[in-house]
Amino acid sequence: MEEQNNSGADSNGRQPQQAAQPAQPARQEPAAARGGTALWLKIIAVLYGLSLIAAFAVVNRADTARKARTKDMDLSKLTGLQKKKDAVAVIPIYGVISQGASSRSWERGSQQTAKRIRTLAAKKEVKAIVLDINSPGGSVGAVQEIYSAVLKAKAETKKPFIARFGEVSASGGYYVGAACDQIVSHPGTITGSIGVIFSVSNIEGLMKKVGLRNEAIKSGKFKDIGSMSREMSPEERRLLQAMIDDSYEQFVAAVAQGRKMTVEQVKPLADGRIYTGRQAKEAGLVDKFGDLQDAVDAAGEAGGLGKNPRVLSDGDPFENLMSLLDTKLSLRGSAVEQALDATPRVEYRWSGR
Amino acid sequence: MNPINTLAALIDKPELLAAADRPEGLGRTGMLGYLAGTLGIFAWLRIYSAVPPGFMSFTAVLLCLLGLNFLMAGLLHLFMDLTGARGGAGRLFLAFGCTDYLMSLLIPMAFFAKLNLVGGFAAYSACVALLVYARVRIVKRVYAVSANKAALGVLLPYAWLGAAAFVASVYSLAWLIWLII
Repeated sequence: MEEQNNSGADSNGRQPQQAAQPAQPARQEPAAARGGTALWLKIIAVLYGLSLIAAFAVVNRADTARKARTKDMDLSKLTGLQKKKDAVAVIPIYGVISQGASSRSWERGSQQTAKRIRTLAAKKEVKAIVLDINSPGGSVGAVQEIYSAVLKAKAETKKPFIARFGEVSASGGYYVGAACDQIVSHPGTITGSIGVIFSVSNIEGLMKKVGLRNEAIKSGKFKDIGSMSREMSPEERRLLQAMIDDSYEQFVAAVAQGRKMTVEQVKPLADGRIYTGRQAKEAGLVDKFGDLQDAVDAAGEAGGLGKNPRVLSDGDPFENLMSLLDTKLSLRGSAVEQALDATPRVEYRWSGR
Repeated sequence: MNPINTLAALIDKPELLAAADRPEGLGRTGMLGYLAGTLGIFAWLRIYSAVPPGFMSFTAVLLCLLGLNFLMAGLLHLFMDLTGARGGAGRLFLAFGCTDYLMSLLIPMAFFAKLNLVGGFAAYSACVALLVYARVRIVKRVYAVSANKAALGVLLPYAWLGAAAFVASVYSLAWLIWLII
């Protein structure tokens, strides 16, 4: 309304009538200026509208072009033009092999390692897998879980597995390596220790000294076998020895199968002794000397990729971060708590480390 | 009064903002300003493929802009009130909406930036600088304070946000170092 009145005053030439009013000359100038400002604003609004339409037209066309390009890419994927580059996967197995304390995916337990082996073996672009082992072994169940995962992956995917031994790959570490098609180690790697161990401390004397006595109410005479608070009976010893012997037979059979040797050939080597890499090679327990790069090259050649293939990182960024947080925040219990967990267990483990 | 006339009146006579009665059509003009500003920002972001297309995406940008301006206006009003300046918070929020028309400049700027005639960051910074200048002028009128105090008031929320971002980044860095060591 205000603008209409003002513009009317300008265009209709009614200046004389308005000039009669005393305050009119003072109002006239801003009114005229406002008309000018409004005109400019209208022009700007039109330009704004046009630029808005232009912007959305351009963006829309760009979106359409991008969608079309995506379709093309999908087609090229179907024809194999955008195939992912083939690679060799490296899975680290470091430290004592044990079942994880929880089912968290970022735990470094045997079940997570087995899962990694299955996942990577199932990937099309992974043509061979290197197990980077630096371990003195671990509990029987945990070692056999990884061993079984390797055998299954090999049977299902026919992909070659190469074991690389680091500083120590003894006992259970060797058990896992035996499942692989080739073993690469340093000449000075400590390996071997093919055998089983069950150790239990007897703190009966100490308990007597401090006046502590443990009472066990049991359903059977062997229910507290391996108890730390009393002497082991000969009967219990025989039972445990039978168990150890059975696990030992399984170990020897696994080595014989993996190394394509007979059980009779393996048994003389499997008295629990450790070997250097060189000695192990002479005994037929290792295939060749080399470092991780040599193992990767061997895997590349076995997988048809040649030397120096692309290496696929094993780590999932989220799992690595969670693992880091877990360690720092001690979500899985303190180190002291873990150290005090001295439950006796049957192990494929070399305790010299 | 249509928004263009209201805007023209405010440009010509900014003292209307300090009048006892709220200028006629300020509500509509302010809210339309937010809408126009959002369209400008949204078009800019779309040209740079920073947001997905669609109505929901636009609504999200609009709500963010409204929320941020509401917070800015609230903080600024609080600062002015604490320092003894008198003015209306609602009027300030709507007046801020009128300054948001300036963000529509981002659309041609985006074209110029895409044609490599101006730098993208420089163009955006120029628009924001213009917006801040306009807001300083408005605060000066609404609260009848000096230009320096108005500038301080307008920049305070930005400084507060900047300081918060800085503290957060330093804390994140320290946290990361603690994680690694």
